[in-house]
Formats: sequence, structure tokens, C-alpha cells
Amino acid sequence: MSLRQSILEHPDRRYIMFGGKGGLGKTTFSAATAYWLASQGHRVLVFSVDPQASLSDIFERDIFGKGAVEITHNLWAQEVDADRHIQAYQDEIRRKILDMYGFESVPEEIEQYIQAASAEPAMEESAIFDAVVDIVVTGEYDYYIYDLVPLGHALYYLSMAKIYDEWINKITKLREEMREYEEMVSRLKRQKDTEEDHILSELQYIRGRINASSRILTDKDKTAFYFVVVPEKMIILDTQKAAGLFSQFDVPISGYIVNRVVPEELLGQNIPPYLRHRIEMQKNYLGEIRRTFGDQVSAYVPELERDVTGLPMIERLAEIMYANGNSQAGRLR
Amino acid sequence: MITTPPKKSVWQNLREVMYGMATHDMSRYAVRTRASMEHLFILITMGDLIGVPILPPYYSLRLLPYVVPQISTWKRRLLREKDISDAMF
Repeated sequence: MSLRQSILEHPDRRYIMFGGKGGLGKTTFSAATAYWLASQGHRVLVFSVDPQASLSDIFERDIFGKGAVEITHNLWAQEVDADRHIQAYQDEIRRKILDMYGFESVPEEIEQYIQAASAEPAMEESAIFDAVVDIVVTGEYDYYIYDLVPLGHALYYLSMAKIYDEWINKITKLREEMREYEEMVSRLKRQKDTEEDHILSELQYIRGRINASSRILTDKDKTAFYFVVVPEKMIILDTQKAAGLFSQFDVPISGYIVNRVVPEELLGQNIPPYLRHRIEMQKNYLGEIRRTFGDQVSAYVPELERDVTGLPMIERLAEIMYANGNSQAGRLR
Repeated sequence: MITTPPKKSVWQNLREVMYGMATHDMSRYAVRTRASMEHLFILITMGDLIGVPILPPYYSLRLLPYVVPQISTWKRRLLREKDISDAMF
């Protein structure tokens, strides 16, 4: 099924993600897909949580940490600044402590804890996770295009959702047991009500958010996940491995997009042996991609003569990616 | 103006005596179990405070404001197996 068909025939799949090793063109495809959907009249947000995000580069505008920025009609782009997100979050916690207890300043021990916690590597991953939930739960856009971080991160991200969920379930249960004891005491003492357990409500809130985000990542009806591959041996092997891992986490893989295909027509021209050799080699790997991924290959995208940056190039790429029968193009060769 | 608490009726007094005889022990036990669980809870959510990282810190920060008053007593309790209340009751 071509990329065009696979998106048009599943209008409920509002979350579209591109995954793959670094530097294969995830951001480029995200931008082109967002552009194409926007030109079809949908409101689209393309966003990235990568600290080295390149949406700014591709749209040739500095959007880092600036929230959703309108690029053209119907198309918004957003780059999440995880550090700023963490800082704002820390300040929120501090303010809450000051308000709750009427302190002048946060007690030293507590302040140290807040700072130590934020220095941990897991902090950034979780902050990103949380920022994504913020973005997608609002539901303001028709489509959310998720420029996913490289595969390792994405897997970590997904496994974290599972671990978090289990962990939160356990402590929520402990908290509920504590609640039962409290209620028992107040029944014995014949007090009317027990105080509301704020921690329990926080835990339930956290669980709600984690569930919401992992549902989005793994919901077959709402999510389309495309792998980006290039016709190179290592990449094909890695992608196969990653696809196996992703399916373990119930990520619905909608298709594979082959990038950087050097046009075979060049063989008819007078080209140096170096290039001729590369094209011959690529032919083998394209064959391997067809054998491995078969019908799941959604599009072939040629290596263009220049970088894809700026709207005119994005538009040109979108036309190629979403051309009718693009997936056949490669097969006929 | 100082308000004196209203005098308790015979019925109320009787009720309190019955409570003391029958269920005070039970509720004391429940309160103590609840307190132990509270300490366990703080340990698994705020373990970082004593150098035992048990969970990713992002969400534990969210819970931090609610346990601020308990933290110093919790640390003390961790340091001694026996609580002072063991001797008192």
C-alpha cells in the first residue's frame, strides 16, 4: 500500500510517527508529511522532543522552545525545550511547597533533593515524556506528526511507559491500603470523614497521564508508525531488529519508507564508475528490502540533488512521497 | 472571649468509656500500621533523599510537597529500628 493510500484510508490515525536510525531523514519526512496533510486542508502539528532537533533547520526558522509556531496555513511546528520544561516544573514544585506550608524559602534539605533529582539522566527522558503528553492530550490539531528521536531513545521511551505504569499501579495500591487503615480508624473513632488523600489523587493523575501517552503510542486505530530505511546493509539489519523490538511493545508498524534511493536512470548516462558501482550495490539492497519488508514498503524517496530545507524543497519532497503509486515505482525497477 | 466546651452528657461519657475499653487498642494499632506504611511509601518514592534511587525522579518530585513535614521524622525512624513509641506504649 502506498504512503498516500495508507494515510488517506485511515483518517483516524491522527498520530503519525517516523522512526529509524539517526540521520536517515525522519525530520525531513515528518516535515514533508505535515506539509502535505496541511495542504489537504487539515490542521497539523509537527513536533520534536530531540534536544538536537532539526525542525528549526528544515523550516529555516528558530522555533526551539517557542511553543507551537505557525509555519504556513494549517501547519504548526514545535520543538520542545526539555531543560526549560524541567525548570518550569521545579519552580512549580517549589511554589507548591511554599504555598502549602507558608514557608519563606524552601527548606535546604528539600531544595537539595529537588536539585539532585533534576540532575539525573532519567529526569530529562521523563520530562520529555510528560511534555509529549501535554502536547497530544489537548487534541487541538487534526494530525500530530511526531518526529521521533532515534530508535534507542524511542524504545527506552516505550519501555518506560510500561515500567512507570506498573510502578504507579503498585504504589497506588499501597496508598489505597493506607487509606483503608485511615478509614478504619475514623470509623472506630466515629469521626465523620477522613481527609482527602492528596497523594492518592496525585498518583491517580500521574497514572492517567502515563496511560494516555502509552495508549497513543500503541493504539492501532489512532497511530501510524513508519520506519525509515536506506538501501544499506547495516541499516536494513538494524531496522529488522528494531522492528522486532517495537512489535514487542505493541507499536503498530504501518510501513517502511526507503530513503536516499539514487535514481537508476543515471545508469544510462555517462557517469563515473564510482557512482555506477554504488547504484549496482544499491540494487542488491533494494532487492533485499523488497524481500524482507515486501508489501509493507510504503514509499521510495530518491536522493535529491540538494538538501531538503525551506518550504519549496519540502513541497517538492511531499509531492514525491505522496505521489500516486509511489510504492510501485521501486518495485518496477 | 474564652469558650468552655459544652458539658458532656452521660451518654457521651458512656460512649467514650466504651470506646476506650473496646476499640482504642484497635485504632491505635491501625494508626501505627498506617504510620509504618507511610514510611515505606516515602522510602519508595523519595529514596533518593538517602541515596537509594528507586524510581525515576520526575514524578516523585510531584509527590514531594505532600511529604515535606514527614521527611525529618522519616529519616530519624530509618536510623533506629526501634521507635521511641515502642517503649512508651
